[in-house]
Amino acid sequence: MKTSILKAIELILSMDAELIDILSVTAKMSIQSSLIALLIGLPIGIILGGYEFPGKNILLILNRTLMGTPPVVCGLIFYMLFSGVGPFRHLKLLFTVEIMVLAQVFLITPIIIGNVESFISTIAPNVKETAKGLGFSHIKTLFLIINESVYQIFSAYLLAFSRSIAEVGAVSMVGGAISWKTNVMTTAIMQYTNRGNFTLGVALGMILLSVSLIVNIIISIMQRRLSK
Amino acid sequence: MIKIPPLKKTYSSRTVLDFPGTDLEKGRIYAVIGSNGSGKSTFAKILSGMIKDDDKQKLFKDIAVGYMPQRNYSFRMSVVRNILLGGKDPSLANELMERLKISHLKDKRAKSLSGGETARMALARLMMGKYDIVILDEPTSAMDMESSLLTEELIKEYVKNTNCALILITHSLQQAKRIADDVLFFHKGSLLEYGSAEKVLYEPENAETKKFLEFYGS
Ligand SMILES: Nc1ncnc2c1ncn2[C@@H]1O[C@H](COP(=O)(O)OP(=O)(O)OP(=O)(O)O)[C@@H](O)[C@H]1O
Ligand SMILES: [Mg+2]
Repeated sequence: MKTSILKAIELILSMDAELIDILSVTAKMSIQSSLIALLIGLPIGIILGGYEFPGKNILLILNRTLMGTPPVVCGLIFYMLFSGVGPFRHLKLLFTVEIMVLAQVFLITPIIIGNVESFISTIAPNVKETAKGLGFSHIKTLFLIINESVYQIFSAYLLAFSRSIAEVGAVSMVGGAISWKTNVMTTAIMQYTNRGNFTLGVALGMILLSVSLIVNIIISIMQRRLSK
Repeated sequence: MIKIPPLKKTYSSRTVLDFPGTDLEKGRIYAVIGSNGSGKSTFAKILSGMIKDDDKQKLFKDIAVGYMPQRNYSFRMSVVRNILLGGKDPSLANELMERLKISHLKDKRAKSLSGGETARMALARLMMGKYDIVILDEPTSAMDMESSLLTEELIKEYVKNTNCALILITHSLQQAKRIADDVLFFHKGSLLEYGSAEKVLYEPENAETKKFLEFYGS
């Protein structure tokens, strides 16, 4: 145990080529998928949280259901869609980073929608009442609502990012955990542990935990700023 | 003269407001009094366009309505920037803060203000603008006596300067006596008594109004 931790640290410090590759594939996948999820989820979350319209409750229930999608089910769906028998097989996306990003977007967009919606729905009635009383336009009111929510939006983004970086079920199915191509931190940990090579696994585990720690420190700093 | 049509509001078959309609005259202060749940805020919300009445009427055309809700929102910025949301004139903002004794809070985060301070900020924010009708929903309920009196003075001046019709919802009969020209007494959603302040507050006709005044007065 102790020796494998020391070896892991050594491995990280030596900037092992495979380790670096795994990290960069992970970063590429997580950053891309979380940014796309933010782009899609933010407007939907704002509309769901800030406005009343028929069918809204159904959409909220749907989103809450999607928030709980088991990653392997998501992996299964995308596998079937893009595999040799699926309708999108000619796109040849199976076992690429692109399809991992797609599957991740499917998993984490609902998280962004849900978090943004739940915060905005608490402030929107009061903001809108005050804004309406001052004669503000809809656009100005919308900007004010977004300005009130910037920290929560950023928190929702970080939450989605850390979910994406830690997820294993879907990405291993559609990505195939191919070394030097689609292997990310979580799938590599599984792979190397299965092979009995703990050093790389422990090194990746430590990095994963550190990233999660940093993300949570940022979120907690923001929350402290908020409560002031 | 601003015409207010009859207004009705029903929540799940319970009528919370049944207003017969009236004309408002510019330059006058109308106090709205009545117990909790009598429909005062509902009246204010419908007039301001926050909510629609049962007939979904579009109430005013080319008439600007300013409205200070019972619960005011402090935007995530400084006090002075909150006030400048209401209008662009910085010297007016300074004057209003001076008058309401919140100049020393100018650069504080608005969210950190106390209840009475928030109400004064919200009032200054609203008074940065000019409106045909201004509705204030219990502006002084969180304020101490000194701030309430300052606010009343400012309201009177504002009405004179901008020539608006001002509707003041209040639980203070003393306040109504001090600044109202006319008084509307709401009871269980209905307008039970309406007339000049002298008449409604000193010689009411309706038995409910008498009961209310006796309970609240002296
Ligand atoms: N959205 C709503 N749904 C159902 N009932 C409501 C709603 N809004 C208000 N009411 C009801 O309408 C009635 C009148 O409420 P309103 O807020 O107008 O009273 P108010 O005169 O302003 O009282 P207060 O002095 O406490 O401010 C209350 O009984 C309240 O419960
Ligand atoms: Mg009220």
